[in-house]
Amino acid sequence: MFRRGNTRKYLLLGVLIIFIIVLMNYTRFGRAGVSPVESALRDVVAPVQGLSINLGHRLRGLVSFPFSLVNAAKENQLMKERIGELEGRIYQDEELRSENERLKRLLDFKTVVAPQAGFNTVTAAVVGRDPGNWFGMITINKGSRNGLKPDMAVINDQGLVGRITSVNTYTAEVLLITDFRSGVSALIQDSRSPGIVEGTAGYPGKVRMVHIPIETEVTPGQVVLTSGFGSMYPKGIPIGRIQELGRDSSGLFNTAEVIPFVDFNRLEEVMVITGTGAQAGGVSALPDPWGVALNNSVAAPPTGVKNPAGSSGVVGQ
Amino acid sequence: MRLFYLLILVFLAAFCQGSLVTVFPFLWVNPDLVLLIVVFNAFLKGSREGALVGFFGGLFQDLATGSYIGMNALSLMAAGYLVGLTQSKLLRESSLIITFLVWLSSIAAQLISYILLASMEVYISPGVALLRVIIPTAIFTSILAPVFYPRFYKSCRKGMLRNRNI
Repeated sequence: MFRRGNTRKYLLLGVLIIFIIVLMNYTRFGRAGVSPVESALRDVVAPVQGLSINLGHRLRGLVSFPFSLVNAAKENQLMKERIGELEGRIYQDEELRSENERLKRLLDFKTVVAPQAGFNTVTAAVVGRDPGNWFGMITINKGSRNGLKPDMAVINDQGLVGRITSVNTYTAEVLLITDFRSGVSALIQDSRSPGIVEGTAGYPGKVRMVHIPIETEVTPGQVVLTSGFGSMYPKGIPIGRIQELGRDSSGLFNTAEVIPFVDFNRLEEVMVITGTGAQAGGVSALPDPWGVALNNSVAAPPTGVKNPAGSSGVVGQ
Repeated sequence: MRLFYLLILVFLAAFCQGSLVTVFPFLWVNPDLVLLIVVFNAFLKGSREGALVGFFGGLFQDLATGSYIGMNALSLMAAGYLVGLTQSKLLRESSLIITFLVWLSSIAAQLISYILLASMEVYISPGVALLRVIIPTAIFTSILAPVFYPRFYKSCRKGMLRNRNI
């Protein structure tokens, strides 16, 4: 029935099937070890596999490159938007941090320094600035509605800013001490020498102290304070530090260039002194320059020098 | 409509000018942005419009200052008028010419302001006024001229500030 050649074929096929089944069984999943032959085979095959896989990746990259370009452009755009957004957030955070610091300093001043100095203050924000170069004026966002009146002194946590010249219902104009129309009755802290601090046109970073008696010793670095004369500025508000000395044209008085403590280019919030009372104790513990200034404003004058400020304590406006 | 846009521009310039020193602390004087616009416009449009825009520009500045109202209005009106006299006599495209004109008109405007202040018994030493206000303002303002003039000129030819005379 079967030819001899066919029988051999079927026999071989059967043997092959059995061999494969045995081999499959031998190499089934979960067995304990790998035979040396298998191991050698895998070692030979692995680099070839790696090469082909690498090639495949490269080809895939080549084929998908134009498509990935489209995606990259989109991703790039998204990234840029995200970076812009994050940068904006960083600037915003920076601005908030800086505002927070400023307000904290102002709050510290209002709650610690001002009560000890006997100042009743109203805090205001600077909302306008003279656009020209002749005058030094700012506009603040508080007015008669908040109890402000002309000639009230304006300060910040660094020192004297100026005085109010006109008041509207919601705003007020402040004449800075750097304006050439401003004159502040002042004294040098160490020597108690009196003088007038006046602004100079076009020089927002400096003021000038004039009419300093010629016999008094003035040295750079000395602190200048309000003297309280003229009843406009309370006594003991720090104004600035003497930088340079000179003699006026008549030769009868000394003059001095004074660098104000206040940075007039960065004024953002100020305080208006609406009233004054008695100084509390411990003013020397206050932050510089207020501590030193207020401490000295109540101290006795140095021996041999007439105290031009007259009575001690803060003079009401 | 053109004049309306121009006045809005002048108003914005007057508004921004006060905060320039705050934003750029290396400047110790404010460049006069309003004068810049007044001069640009007068150079292109003549003395009549130059004087008009100068007057309103100065008035904006005066209102922002809140004192001596009219001082800037007069000085900028004069500057606008004087620069306007050069219309069609000089090369309009030249940034160098406009820079020089801005410098000169700034000095003229500030000198007029100085004289007006003196007439109101506000005395500033001439040396201080010249060295600390007038000349620095003129220099800082004229430095900005070549930066902004090409844009202004373009806008006058093809943009919002365009009209048929250009």
